[in-house]
Amino acid sequence: MRLFSLLCGATLTSAARLTVSIPPSPPQLPNPATLPASTHAVLHGPPGVRYDVPLRRDHSFVFPELGEASYLLTIHTRDYFFPSLRVDVAKAEGEGSQRSIAAWQTFRGNEWSNKGPQYGAGIDELRVEMRPNGHKDFYQQRGGFNLIGFLKSPMILMGLVSVVMIFGMPYMMDNMDPESKAEFEEMSKKSPITGSEGAASQIQNFDLAGWMAGKSPGATGGPSGGGNKKK
Amino acid sequence: MRLPLFAAVCILLRTAVAVFADEAWNVDYHYALLGEPQEETTFFHQPNPTSKASLIYTLSKRGFVGAVNPRDGSVVWRQLLSPNLTSSTSQGFLRAGEGQDTIVSGYGSQVAAWSAADGRLAWTVDMHGPLKDVEILELSDGKIGSGAKDVVALSGGGSPAVQRLDGASGAVKWQHKFQEGDEVYQLSASTTEVFAILLHKTVLGYIKIRVLSLDPVNGRKTSEYTLSSENELASADTIISVGANSASPIVAWTDAAHSVLKINIIGTKTVSSYNIEKQGGQTVENIRIHAPYHTTSLSHFLVHYQTATSHWADIYHINFARSITQIAYSLPNISGKGSFSTSTSDANVYFTRITQDELITVSSASHGVLGRWTIDNLGVVSAPHEAIVPTHTVSELSVKGDSVSAIRTAVLLSTGDWVLLRDSKPVWARPEALADITSATFATPSVLEDFQHKLDVETHSNFVGAYLHRVKRHLEELKHFPSYMSSMPQRFISGFLGTTDEGAMASDSFGFHKVIVCATGNGRLVALDAGSANRILWSRTAVDLGSSETWQPGLSSRADVIVLEQGSGKSQQTFNATNGDPLPGIPDTHDLQAGPRVQYTLRDGVLEATRTDKANAGSVWHFTPMDGERILHLVPRPSNDPVASIGKVLGDRRVLYKYLDSNLALLATANDASKSAQFYVLDTITGSILHSSAHSGVDLQAPISSILSENWFAYSYTAEASDASTKGHHLVVGEMFESLVPNDRGVLDAATNFSTVQSGTEPFTLVQTYQTPEAISKMAVTQTRQGITSRQLLAVLSDVEAIVGIPYSALDPRRPVDRAPTKDEQMEGLFQYAPVIEFDPKWFLNHQREVLGIENVLTSPALIESTSIVFAYGLDIFGTRLSPSFSFDILGKDFNKFQMLATVAALAVLTFVVAPLVMRKQVNTRWQFT
Repeated sequence: MRLFSLLCGATLTSAARLTVSIPPSPPQLPNPATLPASTHAVLHGPPGVRYDVPLRRDHSFVFPELGEASYLLTIHTRDYFFPSLRVDVAKAEGEGSQRSIAAWQTFRGNEWSNKGPQYGAGIDELRVEMRPNGHKDFYQQRGGFNLIGFLKSPMILMGLVSVVMIFGMPYMMDNMDPESKAEFEEMSKKSPITGSEGAASQIQNFDLAGWMAGKSPGATGGPSGGGNKKK
Repeated sequence: MRLPLFAAVCILLRTAVAVFADEAWNVDYHYALLGEPQEETTFFHQPNPTSKASLIYTLSKRGFVGAVNPRDGSVVWRQLLSPNLTSSTSQGFLRAGEGQDTIVSGYGSQVAAWSAADGRLAWTVDMHGPLKDVEILELSDGKIGSGAKDVVALSGGGSPAVQRLDGASGAVKWQHKFQEGDEVYQLSASTTEVFAILLHKTVLGYIKIRVLSLDPVNGRKTSEYTLSSENELASADTIISVGANSASPIVAWTDAAHSVLKINIIGTKTVSSYNIEKQGGQTVENIRIHAPYHTTSLSHFLVHYQTATSHWADIYHINFARSITQIAYSLPNISGKGSFSTSTSDANVYFTRITQDELITVSSASHGVLGRWTIDNLGVVSAPHEAIVPTHTVSELSVKGDSVSAIRTAVLLSTGDWVLLRDSKPVWARPEALADITSATFATPSVLEDFQHKLDVETHSNFVGAYLHRVKRHLEELKHFPSYMSSMPQRFISGFLGTTDEGAMASDSFGFHKVIVCATGNGRLVALDAGSANRILWSRTAVDLGSSETWQPGLSSRADVIVLEQGSGKSQQTFNATNGDPLPGIPDTHDLQAGPRVQYTLRDGVLEATRTDKANAGSVWHFTPMDGERILHLVPRPSNDPVASIGKVLGDRRVLYKYLDSNLALLATANDASKSAQFYVLDTITGSILHSSAHSGVDLQAPISSILSENWFAYSYTAEASDASTKGHHLVVGEMFESLVPNDRGVLDAATNFSTVQSGTEPFTLVQTYQTPEAISKMAVTQTRQGITSRQLLAVLSDVEAIVGIPYSALDPRRPVDRAPTKDEQMEGLFQYAPVIEFDPKWFLNHQREVLGIENVLTSPALIESTSIVFAYGLDIFGTRLSPSFSFDILGKDFNKFQMLATVAALAVLTFVVAPLVMRKQVNTRWQFT
């Protein structure tokens, strides 16, 4: 795959070698052998310099010849996110043609000088280990039908409570002992909603004809409006 | 860490766009292609030496090495060997050693070994010179089965050399350098020696074959001789074959007229000469030699002669004792083209011959037919009465006694399809011709187009006429009623269970089944159905191309007519989009507006615009890039780019007016010296520059892509770290407005019509830059019928082999910077600017599919407003449907029909149960007094 597109064509007498390996990292990637063959790593150097290597059998990427530059290392694979690294290759201190090579994590959207934790440093050769920092989840699940969620909705809860009241109240009334039953009835009579003087019974027993004729409600003397009950 | 920010962005955009789990794999379709396999580099091989299961390996014309499962034709793995896909500049080699778990490829100057089972790299070596040959050493040094077999590679160029590479690590064991002068040609290895074949040019301009024999242990030259090829060899093209890795390799050549065949067993000096008789008075056009590739096989080989109308073959045996070759028997002359393949089983060698209608297997030892099958159907789509010719084949067979019990043959057909035959039944077909699409277009099937035409007639005639037309149309439709009724239960059931395969084109009421017509590199037109996965509607030859010819056709469509234009305005051909029938004449171009038009062309690095109307034709404007700059590309606004609203409604109900002009184009230029890129938005009528920007430190080898749609543009590039920007991939989005003051159209004010030539208005442009995790190699934008649906930017990410759909709301340059959005901005859907756009995996249109080598993405509106049809091509073919604002006008899979019916049923039951209860209660309240 895009084997070493060595576009700079520089003649490198001595160059640094970078090996990036992917160890098993249990929660995310327990077995790096599951990575597809299309997994590859790209080193972006200065404009025009780009190295692209495929994954090897030992779950590693090898960049055999790196010239002096500052590189951005990205690992591309189908199912995982990997952190990006900054790899610097520079002339080593002292004599000879040795190169120092070092790698740090780097963060997108930050200055290039803003380096993260160091992954490693070496002379002429560097091995770093990289672990995925996330699994790619491609699929959006639809909000399907969920019985618990359906029952939890307030509308359904209210409906259920009223159903319980409709069916449960007569039984409760029947099973009450006479004393408390009488007490309950007394209470409901007094209650402003359901009692005989309550709003509900007043609306139900509203004497429209009487009201239009100008009668006061008190003058009707007990329930008379049978009109709306004869259905 | 940017993760919290990323999460926040994801949550905000969660509702914007996503690939749904139930739509993935159903709505989209994908052909994972390799390109047409090459004859020399295609074979069956067992990836695991302990198992009998084999895969088909190939190195295709597009430079891909891949393994295909012979059971279902799926790609097991594939790797691109070279980023520049010009196979003519470099020969490719692919070899597999017997019983090895690696396969070795050679391409350019790289030799690489790949794990045969999973396609991972084992090792790679650079040979510092163009590769001439790669072979695997099958040495009989008594160490059989001891690890990986070594590889010998021959490289040419300035310092030609043979190198022996360790099979396990790729380390160089020895190197033999040649003196300059002779051209290195090929390698051949027997069990005891390595032979290098060199071509020596004589003073008269003829070629003599020099053979160098090398010791495989230390690479020293043991002997050298020159074959007396007299004056037959004028060029290396007539050397037919240099057999490699067989028990006794041979070299065979012929003269330019194909009248004599000369064969030499490498290692001996005798040259056998055979006259080629002319059968049927036709000259032999092509001679091919098929020999087994195993050192343990019998040393038999087959010579295949092909004339324009017929083909035959001779089988030769090599007599070791006397070092001569002799003809054992001949296979009869059969008219038409044919192809041969070689298979081995232990030491036995079998030849399989495939013709247009027959498959015959013979043993190399005698001419008795071991198996014969009649092929009546190859399972590929082709034009009616088209002769489908086998181009080359590989086969794998198992022999029981005197007959072939099973045979699998992978055959490349002249249509560009790669077909596997089990005995004579096609098992799968891979349309490898589609890996090389030069041009493609969407078209509407005729059924829909006819219907639309009828409706048009009704709207444009008078009331009575339209009514009569409509009644007539309905009466005509009545004859489809019985079939409609009979299919009704089936439709109902499939609709209810959701098992519908979305039927044929005739019943396509949503316009998903568009026709995609592609012109392929082998001179054919292939039509695909955009609505159903992996369905080829028709395929036909458009031009007859020679082996080295290429064509650059232009395809366009006018409703249901395909117009094919070859070269620059040469000839036009028209085809029916539904069935591919050629149509007479050129369609009238009434849809092109009359009146002054401006045409712009790129000439000598200068963009020139000319008026095409006759009255005042001539040059209007020039755009000459600055010194040192070259034009990269020019992207005009799509011709079909409807805009629903001329303004952007803000959160407080005020309006920002968009700068809408259909004659805009985005021009990108590059300066190689200063490594900078410039982008200009041009008015193509006046030539004025409406917006320009320049970026320095740009990697000009990395892809630079751009797009222009509606009133916004976007471009991407890869930049080096500098004071102004950080290292990585950047995406810039600009949006143009008539004025930045809401409810104000600026200088245009209340003008309903204006001319850019006279008024000279310029837009106010808002620009925002984002950093992206991947380089974007190509951009496209979704298209819908009315343009009401929000747009998505489709970006091809070649590094992760994906296409992402980025909702425009994520790119909006009006996102507030360095502050939280105000209430009005929130109402509008704007959220705070972040310098990085992380591509949510749910934006990946291709989800887990890996779409390689996408070069272009086409979009087309469906009949319903919510949906845009996407088709991407390059190497792979990928297509899907997108609803950027969700499917608001169609009941999708998210509509649970079962749940709806269950709710209705539950309510019905409840009504029946509760009704008597309520009735009893009502009666009781009246009559019961307590």
